[in-house]
Amino acid sequence: MRTLVLIPAYNESQNLSQVIQGVRLNVPDAEILVVDDASTDCTASLLPKLGVRWIRLSQQLGTGAAVRTGLRYAAARGFETVVRIDGDGQHPAERIHDLLLPLLRGGADVVIGSRYAGGGATATPRLRRLIHGTLAWILTVLTKRRVTDPTSGFWAFGETALHLLVDHHPSGYPEPELLLFLSRNDLRLVEVPVDMRSRFAGRTSLTPRQTWRATARLLLLLVVVPLRSAVGVTRD
Amino acid sequence: MIEPVQIIALATSIFLLGLVLDLVRRKKLTEEYSFVWILCALALLGVAVERRQLDRFALWLGIYYPPAALLLVLTFFVFVASLSFSVVVSRQRQQIERLIEDAALLESRLRELADADRKKSDVNSATDSVASVIV
Repeated sequence: MRTLVLIPAYNESQNLSQVIQGVRLNVPDAEILVVDDASTDCTASLLPKLGVRWIRLSQQLGTGAAVRTGLRYAAARGFETVVRIDGDGQHPAERIHDLLLPLLRGGADVVIGSRYAGGGATATPRLRRLIHGTLAWILTVLTKRRVTDPTSGFWAFGETALHLLVDHHPSGYPEPELLLFLSRNDLRLVEVPVDMRSRFAGRTSLTPRQTWRATARLLLLLVVVPLRSAVGVTRD
Repeated sequence: MIEPVQIIALATSIFLLGLVLDLVRRKKLTEEYSFVWILCALALLGVAVERRQLDRFALWLGIYYPPAALLLVLTFFVFVASLSFSVVVSRQRQQIERLIEDAALLESRLRELADADRKKSDVNSATDSVASVIV
């Protein structure tokens, strides 16, 4: 099974080398693709030196579009599975195999690494855990399946999901909308407990203004996405 | 008897209609986006010519000052126009996102092809060197 590890990155020049090193160590057979979302730090000059595949967007489009670009790249080059891992070092590369396992066994179309599924994530601040918990509860009700980590960026996509999301992966901060969309299209979602770390270095690019905008957008999407019709999934 | 307000409304609506048609003629405004403005101008023209219709409409709505009904109609049209432009902007945003993605994917494809080409020519020159040594 050809696997592509997709790393969307915005101003992660301090962390990328370490993240890539971790992926190489744990999944040596996988190809690595970095999608640079028009970073303003020195990521652009770093990319050719990393020894991985890379794409640079000319304008900042957000995580969702960066992931979509990576999925389009993977689909065009015949990859069968894609693992999305953040470029800040929060996601443990040693757990990539655990995410791929349900896909290999044919029991899932999409696997999500959840920091809350095992009851862990004690490192996450209490307020954030409360917000995540509330959102997870709403998504559980809307999708009629248990969601514990609504904002995890640690995902594995199988072939069916890959070909569906090439055209339909949401833009912006995509995770909750993606959960709703996949559920609306009857894809099999599985959560795998994963311990997440703090980012290796630097600060998150998410500003308070962006957070409020993303929250407002999310509230609207929680109402609208379940009302959208399914797009029609072709199982390979 | 024609009142001055009617003349102004008539002139404004004819000017607006003429302006929209001229913009379409000069291809400054595409046909698709002109319809909402043409409808707006025609509605204004209608109430300017038939003032009594406006009075009847205002009465039906329970508005005792008929020009207020005209304002209401115009506000409605502006609202529809703004909404239609928001739809256009949203669509264009999606198209721009797609174009940026396409450009980035094409650029990466070009780079990969150039790398493959360079490796191929390196191998060829190495083979030529070996062949010349053997010969």
